[in-house]
Amino acid sequence: MVNQRKSAFYKTIETMFFITKQRGVLGLIATELLSELKSILRDSQIQVEEKENHPLGNSGRVTVYPQSEEEMANVLKYADSSGKKVTIVGGGTKRGFGGLTESADILLSLADYKGVVEHTVGDMTLTVKAGTPFQALQEYLAEYNQKIALDPAWPEYATIGGVIAANDSGPKRFRYGSARDSVIGMRIVYPNGTIIRSGGKVVKNVAGYDMNKLFIGSMGTLGVISEVTLKLRPLPKYESLILLSFLEGSMEEIRAFAVRLLDSMMEPTSLELLSPSLSERLTGKRVYTLAISFEDVESAVHYQEDFVKRIQPSETSMTVLPSKEARVFWNQFYTIGPNGREIGDDKEIEAALKIGVVNLDVLQVIKESHLLQDAANVAIEAHGGLGHGLCQVYVKGAGEDVVAVIERLRQFVTPLSGYVIVKHLPFVLRQKVDVWGKKPSYFFLLEGIKAKVDPNHTLNHRRFVGGI
Amino acid sequence: MAVKDVKTKDQHIENLAKIVGGAQSILYKKEDLLAYDCDGFTIHRHLPKAVVFPKSAEEVAQIVKYCNEHDLPFLARGAGTGLSGGAIPLNGEVIISLTKMKRLLSVDLENRRAVVEPGFINLKLTHSISNKGYYYAPDPSSQYCCTIGGNVAENAGGAHCLKYGVTTNHILGMEVVLPNGEMIEINTNGVLDPPGYDLLGLLTGSEGTLGIVTKITVRILKNPEAKQTVLAYFDKVSDASQAVSDIISAGIVPAALEMMDKTAIEGVEAAAFPVGHPKDIEALLLIEVDGISAGIDEQIHEILEVCRRRNVREVKVAQDEKERERWWANRKTGFGAMGAISPDYLVQDGVIPRSKLPEVLERIKQISEKYGLRIANIFHAGDGNLHPLVLFDARKPGETEKALAAGSECLQVCADVGGSITGEHGVGIEKREEMRFIFTDEEIIAQTNIRDVFNPKNLLNAGKLFPTPGRCVEVKRNEKEKMK
Repeated sequence: MVNQRKSAFYKTIETMFFITKQRGVLGLIATELLSELKSILRDSQIQVEEKENHPLGNSGRVTVYPQSEEEMANVLKYADSSGKKVTIVGGGTKRGFGGLTESADILLSLADYKGVVEHTVGDMTLTVKAGTPFQALQEYLAEYNQKIALDPAWPEYATIGGVIAANDSGPKRFRYGSARDSVIGMRIVYPNGTIIRSGGKVVKNVAGYDMNKLFIGSMGTLGVISEVTLKLRPLPKYESLILLSFLEGSMEEIRAFAVRLLDSMMEPTSLELLSPSLSERLTGKRVYTLAISFEDVESAVHYQEDFVKRIQPSETSMTVLPSKEARVFWNQFYTIGPNGREIGDDKEIEAALKIGVVNLDVLQVIKESHLLQDAANVAIEAHGGLGHGLCQVYVKGAGEDVVAVIERLRQFVTPLSGYVIVKHLPFVLRQKVDVWGKKPSYFFLLEGIKAKVDPNHTLNHRRFVGGI
Repeated sequence: MAVKDVKTKDQHIENLAKIVGGAQSILYKKEDLLAYDCDGFTIHRHLPKAVVFPKSAEEVAQIVKYCNEHDLPFLARGAGTGLSGGAIPLNGEVIISLTKMKRLLSVDLENRRAVVEPGFINLKLTHSISNKGYYYAPDPSSQYCCTIGGNVAENAGGAHCLKYGVTTNHILGMEVVLPNGEMIEINTNGVLDPPGYDLLGLLTGSEGTLGIVTKITVRILKNPEAKQTVLAYFDKVSDASQAVSDIISAGIVPAALEMMDKTAIEGVEAAAFPVGHPKDIEALLLIEVDGISAGIDEQIHEILEVCRRRNVREVKVAQDEKERERWWANRKTGFGAMGAISPDYLVQDGVIPRSKLPEVLERIKQISEKYGLRIANIFHAGDGNLHPLVLFDARKPGETEKALAAGSECLQVCADVGGSITGEHGVGIEKREEMRFIFTDEEIIAQTNIRDVFNPKNLLNAGKLFPTPGRCVEVKRNEKEKMK
């Protein structure tokens, strides 16, 4: 089932039926909450949830759809001063990411706060409202031969605000970096309703603390990101993707090849290792496969393809996907993980893990994930970047088996100084598994920051590390 | 070596000397302290209480703990090349000099990272790994002597940051001594995205007000396969500015895109590294492209075309590495070169949206005329980071003040067009009040709130980065009175 607030048509229907819905559940809701919200927003911006218990949690008794920063500020000010808890949602793709609250008082949706605020083509900067879906933005920018240099999951639904708040990134991070390298400014609505600007609109800026960094990846626990300014990159003039499948599956061979490529002067955009199961889904070959992409002028891309062909190990097969086919591959790639907007059937539990290790240790993590499949009686698809050290592991199976796999992988990466973050898991299981793993030794600083910015724990309460 | 005793009546100095191992690692006599009364920003000066030279993170932690317990103000200092006064001991601080902690601790080429101590010199890192074909990207002009610890404090930039980013984009982890003396490790193994708020991002560029970095894990990069450098001379500043925009609009991401105006060219040609630029041109561009060899010629061709379309007088491609290095030496010593044509100069560091370049340069010209002071412009045109150099003579009464006012006005112009007051030099002492050009009181408080989490007693590098609250009220009051 997809989110109901999908079209203008639905919205009209919802508005029409609002009174009916409201009457049905009003008894369960503090009338005060609703009447306060009504003094801030129009009725059509308020939706009372009939069913509070979403299987992924992170719901609200009342969903609000502010259309201005002022409305956001007023909702937060009210909530913060009256002890109400607020959960923030964008496109809902990360609904299963963290959070120990099944239902907060208010679910603040950014879905109606979208659009480009300012795009200065010559400066290659873009200011956009946080609720804008990522793919819509990229399509808009493509008309100007520009792009945001990020490749998050589920771009059709994920909002730019959500991508940044959760610090999502994809395989092309190897070349282009992550949100912290692209975001140059933000507007944040603090829990007390104050609007704070961080950074600015210029690509280089060291005035004051780099407050942008504080909000990127903060999972909405410090403020509501309302606007984001990004530096853009030109669209590559040409791109291609090499799929290099290792028929023997020897990790030493993959490692030797990767090290050789990394030590060359080639400039791959991604160097992503796919587990055999994932490779089978995407390429039809159930063997370890490297997805090596190049983006540059056409001559430079072909030159690099030739280099890879020259150093191609024996016992491998190679497919080169030119521009269009490469894009088709990636579009499919970005939707391989679970999507928090979809409620799967209850028979199988789905989990998504983000595992961080030192770059080349990705080999070990992907191998271990592959081996765990049979041992743990679950289906696992995994990939990881040999140039950046981040892996995504998708696990499907019975609840207890999934939980066991998470624990096993945590044990596995501990000696590698790595971490496992659970990016998607049903609410019930999040009670049993610590989504963020153990607290860092400097946790008191994180707690201190939270206490200064959101002393009442109004925003996304217990959604982040150590219960922040 | 025998440990020499410190002879002074100051108990604190004796105790600090004990921590660092005796007289050879502490300075406390006035004549020795004079060298530490300012950094690269020479207009403000103040003597420190002492300068200590710890050799390890543990010694740093002990010094900090001691200062914290005895309420002694303190600050960290690297090579002292900072241009905004971040290392000036405004409150008679104990200066913790990190210049003896200068080891390269490890290099891991396969995983592209290196671990250094804070006093390690920026360019030395590249020199240590260049034989393997690797380098460290951030390249401030002072890179031959500035330290990586200082780069972290200031979030230093450089000419090649247009393509490769500034210091913060290359920091993977650090060990930090907090202002109470507690030592923490943030991600020293360099694994990306550790769970929690991004403290690395917050600490980088915090100008030494949140903690003292004692170990840094940095990203290193593989050298580009090919590199080409273009020098273009223009008769009109507007044509040069337009060429900058056109190059970027063509979808080229140059490694560097630098500009100098006529006054700046006069300076660099009179100084140590002249390259024979014509004296009568209005602006020059220094453009560098790097990457895969097969694609470079195409990009150079496009750049030459753009320059010609914008009425370039002469444009040439560096014929060899020697010529390229000469061009860069001429540019990188540009600030100091102003000493050849003016007794004193003040460097500013505003940032503007690239498209406002012609407008802003025109307004800087007006400021120059208004104050009767020459202003040279040397800057990173590609990312809109201007460096107006206000030329003045401090011996003439009132001229220093005039230079400061002119510099501040340049920053006001940058702020007016939607830019920033500093792109890479930091706020320090110099631009504290100018913070108000771009931030509201609430936004400044949001930042000092974060400082209070790390540095609650404000003993570490107090008085930097943020405007003085008292003064702001006074200024407002004066303005109100004037209105009456």
